[in-house]
Amino acid sequence: MRNAFSSALVAAAKLDPRILLLTGDHGYALFDEFRKACPDQYINAGIAEQNMVGVAAGLAKGGFRPFVYGLSAFVPIRVLEQIKLDVCYEQLPVVFIGDGAGVVYSSLGSSHQSTEDIAALRAIPNITILSPADRYEMTQCIKLALISDRPVYLRMGKADLQPVHESLPDFQVGDLCNIKHGTNKMCFIATGSMVSTAIIVSKEFEDVSVWSAPCIKPLNIDTVIDITRSHQLIVTLEEHSVYGGLGSAVSEIATGYAPTWICRIGIQDRFSQFCGNYEYLIQEHKLDIDSVLVQIENFLFHCYGNRESV
Amino acid sequence: MPRESAPMQKFDPKKLRQTVLKMAYAGSTVHIGCAFSIVEILAVLYRSHLNLVNNNPEDPLRDYLVLSKGHGVMAQYACMHELGWLTDDDIQNYFHDGTVLKGLSDAHVKGLEVSSGSLGHGLSIGVGLALAAKRKHTNQRCFAIVGDGEINEGAIWEALLFAAHFELSNLLVIVDKNGYQAMGTTDEVMSLGNIADKFRAFGFETREVNGHDELELDRVIRDLMNLNSKAPRAIVAHTVKGKGVSFMEDDNRWHYTRLNEDTYKSAIAELKSEEPLSIS
Repeated sequence: MRNAFSSALVAAAKLDPRILLLTGDHGYALFDEFRKACPDQYINAGIAEQNMVGVAAGLAKGGFRPFVYGLSAFVPIRVLEQIKLDVCYEQLPVVFIGDGAGVVYSSLGSSHQSTEDIAALRAIPNITILSPADRYEMTQCIKLALISDRPVYLRMGKADLQPVHESLPDFQVGDLCNIKHGTNKMCFIATGSMVSTAIIVSKEFEDVSVWSAPCIKPLNIDTVIDITRSHQLIVTLEEHSVYGGLGSAVSEIATGYAPTWICRIGIQDRFSQFCGNYEYLIQEHKLDIDSVLVQIENFLFHCYGNRESV
Repeated sequence: MPRESAPMQKFDPKKLRQTVLKMAYAGSTVHIGCAFSIVEILAVLYRSHLNLVNNNPEDPLRDYLVLSKGHGVMAQYACMHELGWLTDDDIQNYFHDGTVLKGLSDAHVKGLEVSSGSLGHGLSIGVGLALAAKRKHTNQRCFAIVGDGEINEGAIWEALLFAAHFELSNLLVIVDKNGYQAMGTTDEVMSLGNIADKFRAFGFETREVNGHDELELDRVIRDLMNLNSKAPRAIVAHTVKGKGVSFMEDDNRWHYTRLNEDTYKSAIAELKSEEPLSIS
């Protein structure tokens, strides 16, 4: 997925000299190709993220197309106010790339993990939030970011998972992607790294639909209503807090238009407690396949009194 | 025999201060003191230095005036009124419901480059504008006004590092050193030491001026911008908060105090009493 990101950005920057890549001294190796191909369009702004976002706003006002790269713990979290006031208030075409979202930096601890980035940005007007699940969605997300005339946040989570699509999906801003059609009254909607988990877990049930949400804001209301109307149970999955992310966005639409049972699987309002590798941290947060299955079974029991109803 | 006098020049500070007072009285607003300390700085910039192409606040080749200390925005409104960018109605209806001019610099208003007032934002945007101009090889310049209280913000120092590293010689940062911030003097709240020395240490071509002496301001800005140096430029302008109305000068209450009929009238009277003669 990181290669897809790098290739798409390099290809675009070669064609459009207005594209500038700003980084807060992060992205070692990731930007080798970019620096080689477009050295004049690469700006290392130093370990100074607040200024970097302000500078990006000024560059955008001056006619450039800045891509601001950082770890998602810093971009957007550390610079939330700059994103709000300097960029979103003026609706400037700045693209923010938050890398390592979720618990990717498992062994570095809470300073480098971010499970609140989507929630924080969702409440800011004018910004589009993209959260690709694989390299194909990433390629399409970069394409959408490039043609956007407004602020975009591109959340880059666990990047080396297997593709969930077989080819480039043709989605637009707001669209959900259907991965798997099914007739079960239960349906999964997932984003980012949790789409592949959703696909695997779905096999434990008969004929469950799976949707990927590569765009969390805006979220196509009609599609979500169609899904919630045609299913009794929705399971949302994300490597993000259960507050304010995909699960919240789906629930907000459902409560307004087509209420149904929704099980929000994500980080349960807690920081990581221990050090460990990515798989360990995913287990700690009960986002591994077995734990997700247990949560869904508990949910079914809560809804129907037994697991066998679906 | 009538005395000879200079023709009344545009951006007369006394007139600008009267406009500020009119707005502050009409809108019952605060922040008069921090508008008054930058009146001469703005007057000199608008009169002699800002290239306002075709008097169009949106011309893509204009020079940029970034008011990072957004609290002084009434002084900028007064200048924009002189330019014809704001009408008498805008001044008279300041802060009325449904109007567009707010109490802090707001980029949705044509002529204001940044949304500021949350401090430490504007300078970085100004740095980005200066960098954009450099990259496009235009001769646009960026003049950014920051408050001395504002430079408590860490982002200011990030911006200074960046401006020096990227050799933004088309950037002039003017520090309005009026010696006060919201809760007291800068010495009481957060000692700044020697601001000019700090800017020099960050790689800026730096001068200190009396921020109310228009001739000195004009000369030093010209000298700095004509320097053959790759460094960004800075001026530490020694100013007086509330400058121009005796009972407001150096009295931090006028950061927060609203005008009543008495204070409004006496402030206006004081500014009018010393008005230079004009050729009619």
